[in-house]
Amino acid sequence: MLRTALRNVLAAKARLAMTVLAVCLGVAFVVGTLVFAESSAAAHRAAASKNFADIAVTVTPRHVPPGPEADRNARTLDDTLVRKLAALPGVSAVRPSAEGSATLNAADGSPLRARKAWANLADAYVPGEDGKDTRHPLVEGRAPAAGGELAVDSGTAAAGGLRVGDTVTLATDGPVMRKRLVGIVTTEDSRVTAGGTLVLFDRATAQRLFATPGHYTSIDLLAAPGTDRVALSERVTAMLPADRAEATSGAAQAVRQAATIDMQTRGHRKMPMIFAGVALFIGSFLIVNTFTMVVSRRTREIALLRAIGASRRQVVRSVLWEAALLGLAASAAGFVLGLGIATVLPDLLGTAEDPLPSGPLVIGPLPVVAALGVGVGVTVLAAWLPSRKAAKVAPVEALRSSAQSPSAAAFRIRGIAGAGLLALGGGLLVSLTGAKDASVENLQHAMLGCALLVAAMIVLAPLLAPPVIRLSGRLTRRLGVTGRLARENALRDPRRTAATASALMISTALVAGLAVIGDSTGQALDRQAATGLGADYVIGTRGNMAALDPAAARRVAGTPGVTTASAVSDSVVFTGGRVRQIAGVDPGTVDDVMRLDFLSGSLKDLGPGRIAVSNSVAREQAVSAGSRIKAALGRAQELAPYTVVGVYQDNPTAGDVLGARAEVQRNSLLPDTVQRILVRTDGGTVSEAVEDRLRTATGNSPLVQVKDRRAVVDEAAGAMGELLTLMYGLLAIGAVISLLGIVNTLAMSVSERTREIGVLRAIGMDRAGVRRMIRLESVTVAAFGTLLGLAGGLFGAWAVGALANGALEGYALALPWGTLLLLCLGSLAIGTAAAAVPARRAAALSPLEAVGEA
Amino acid sequence: MTAAPLDALASPYPTTVGVAASTTDLSKVYGSGDTRVVALDRVSIAFREGEFTAIMGPSGCGKSTLMHCAAGLDTVSSGSVRIGTTELGTLDDRQLTRLRRDRVGFVFQAFNLLPTLSALENITLPLSIAGRRPDKQWLDRVVSMVGLSQRLAHRPAELSGGQQQRVAVARALVSRPAIVFGDEPTGNLDSRAGAEVLGFLRDSVRELGQSVVMVTHDPVAAGYADRVVFLSDGALVDEMTRPTPDRVLDRMKSLDTRGRTS
Repeated sequence: MLRTALRNVLAAKARLAMTVLAVCLGVAFVVGTLVFAESSAAAHRAAASKNFADIAVTVTPRHVPPGPEADRNARTLDDTLVRKLAALPGVSAVRPSAEGSATLNAADGSPLRARKAWANLADAYVPGEDGKDTRHPLVEGRAPAAGGELAVDSGTAAAGGLRVGDTVTLATDGPVMRKRLVGIVTTEDSRVTAGGTLVLFDRATAQRLFATPGHYTSIDLLAAPGTDRVALSERVTAMLPADRAEATSGAAQAVRQAATIDMQTRGHRKMPMIFAGVALFIGSFLIVNTFTMVVSRRTREIALLRAIGASRRQVVRSVLWEAALLGLAASAAGFVLGLGIATVLPDLLGTAEDPLPSGPLVIGPLPVVAALGVGVGVTVLAAWLPSRKAAKVAPVEALRSSAQSPSAAAFRIRGIAGAGLLALGGGLLVSLTGAKDASVENLQHAMLGCALLVAAMIVLAPLLAPPVIRLSGRLTRRLGVTGRLARENALRDPRRTAATASALMISTALVAGLAVIGDSTGQALDRQAATGLGADYVIGTRGNMAALDPAAARRVAGTPGVTTASAVSDSVVFTGGRVRQIAGVDPGTVDDVMRLDFLSGSLKDLGPGRIAVSNSVAREQAVSAGSRIKAALGRAQELAPYTVVGVYQDNPTAGDVLGARAEVQRNSLLPDTVQRILVRTDGGTVSEAVEDRLRTATGNSPLVQVKDRRAVVDEAAGAMGELLTLMYGLLAIGAVISLLGIVNTLAMSVSERTREIGVLRAIGMDRAGVRRMIRLESVTVAAFGTLLGLAGGLFGAWAVGALANGALEGYALALPWGTLLLLCLGSLAIGTAAAAVPARRAAALSPLEAVGEA
Repeated sequence: MTAAPLDALASPYPTTVGVAASTTDLSKVYGSGDTRVVALDRVSIAFREGEFTAIMGPSGCGKSTLMHCAAGLDTVSSGSVRIGTTELGTLDDRQLTRLRRDRVGFVFQAFNLLPTLSALENITLPLSIAGRRPDKQWLDRVVSMVGLSQRLAHRPAELSGGQQQRVAVARALVSRPAIVFGDEPTGNLDSRAGAEVLGFLRDSVRELGQSVVMVTHDPVAAGYADRVVFLSDGALVDEMTRPTPDRVLDRMKSLDTRGRTS
């Protein structure tokens, strides 16, 4: 039987090419993702362990909560300790550092790689005995020696377009500094090479910025060859003041750093994994469908085998062997293709701003097992059902008639099962529309409901095919007899048509659902984020610890093109047992930059001891204009009485509580600073020139962010971009797989209908007519899948959207007409493209086929 | 090869008046070199308008090939083929297709109806492809002649073999073609159903003035024709007017013997 199977695989190679391609693509995605994940984790590990390869022990101040004790500990690591550590036996070198973070501007004045604050590193250039810092070998210029000088690493210099001799603008946490770039170094720190920046100051400057003069933030010890690192670590620990400093081994640090970086870049692996799953799921329809067709085509042959004495089991086994061989070949091809995907993924996912570490491909056992399991497993499973059905057919019956239509009973069972699934899934989803919150339980129910809905659509598709296609046939019938024939051909085997359309149906449902939810959420966020914002620009800072100088607001106000600049001091206030946000505003100018909708009272009485609260705070605390509440503002330890002067409609620009700026600023955790400057421009102008002027007015600090209204909204809708990528990725995968599926089915049905097409040619249909007929059939199938998918996707989105309505204020179902139209056009395009090859083959058939052997 | 009796048959009609289709020096060669097979060897024959012609000969004599070439279904190696006054060799595929659609009717051995269309739709299919409306009167006449008036809504699967072939005959006649070709039209039918179909073909010649050419190896079927031409080894060897099954059978026997002894 194995030999029969082998012969079949070889004999039907053209027929099965599509199946192989489907399996191959599915496997490639899975393998590509897994290999990429393993390789990038290995690259992180390798880079991290390289950083710490020669470091035996690192000494740091013992970490304690902020306070006098912490201040004392920070002054433990001084030059005396460095000398003492260097004198320890087994220590070959000591490398003290004063580390912190610094953000710098690129040559064009924009902040350089500033989105990853954890990777904007700064350190001291600490020369060793030979006058060189071995960690930071100079490649150009010289080491920074004075307070006005700095060095950067070559990656940073290249990304920022910085050259030796340039003046670089940078900031560590507050004021802007300008220093001259005197040298370029290289570094092996994986945080920097993975898309960060590195700035080196001279020792005194670094100590002043990040520690205290004469002190370090850490000391690395290098072991002499042959030294037992564990023993060395014990000697170091014994020597340190135990309550003030501690020692960590280099190996432990490498592990920790690798884990950190790995976690930061984990998101890159999630998306391809989702694609792989969807590709496989949709692809399995293609595989099942192909095998069903292949087996039903061979029913006669199987019947013959049965008639001459092959047992049912032998027949099934033969088909399964065939599937296994095919799956194996396809998996092998998919594996190779997957390695290709893994090679290009880092380039695709990484950007110049955000590169991924590169390294050799790491192929663990997991991708191999996954490839085999997925490829062979899915194929064999897909072949099992049709082969069992084929074996059940009585030999005589199969030899007599060429095609059997499924029994009415089978259709009834299908109908009942499908209706049951639909009722269950639909019911679950509809019941959720009553729920007004997105609790985990509700979300799980929603997912279950969607899964049931998809299952119901798959089961019901063959039953829905005839009515839906008849309906669409009204359109194609206008195109004459070719349209009529196309419709009838699509209807000939509803099960096959439905299975072919399933891939497109599922991908359309996914994309339509995502598009609707994404669009609705985006619009809601859009509405919400900009609620209350009357300003054209918001100037803020990067990170929580940075702040703006109140004087900057005056400079901004004096900038040409600016009509109003209102400073806001953001802080926290403790009231009613909860910590809330308070915004300190200037009542005189705030009306220009914030749109506040007062339910009672007004802002004009705002002042020391007098605050306004948002509607939700007012409700929770049961206060209204004129009430008095107790609150502790900012650093204040004691609750103090405050008078409520007004209650306003909630809005994210104003926050929970509004206070007078002077009072908030005084009590802020970052005293005498402001966090935002809201800017109104002349006639609402938003342009790069205005932005540049605002940047200049705030001292060009790389820590300052100048955002226009759009940027504020985009920031709030940050996750939406990812959803969009996901959506288009799914669309692409769905398109490719459905294309393959339709090509497959059409090719099969053309070769089955050779004689019919011959007759049509003989009695006078020209080649163009034959091509048009096949194309219309293809478009009909594609349109069916799309219609059903759209219906399912929209229903799902409507039901799940109700949950979002509870979680997200202002959520309303919005239909992204553009995307939906694109989907429909895309399905037409897929139908037309899929028909190209089969149509050409059909048109090339000779009319003599009509008189050929039966 | 005895070529002498053929001279009498070579292009007996110098003009095309009254000729539905004709071939002149038609040759069809398959393969080349060692595998070269001559299926038709310079065959010249004319099919008169309003005549029912049967082409007969032993298996492999080239009778089907002759019909395929004469009907524009197959290409020729050399020589010419005309339907009416149209020289098929000068036509491209589209023109040839149009010619088949408008001026030629076919009846196949395997019926070859489209399973998805009803009997009526099958009958009018050539007209639908041409985008023309059927001539109602003519359609009624053709349909009532083949006795299908009651079964027009049925699909082919719901019809017997004889009924299916009657649908096929109606389909061949509906566009009033210049000539109808039948390729063993009774080959898949029992003798009663076969006799019916042959009766319709003969009626179409008698009553509608149709020209019909039919390939067959059945002397009984040939007995319905006005004229029988005999083919052997790709060449015309004889013809017979007003044939009877017995005479045809005798002639076939002599062809067979000659085929075996040559």
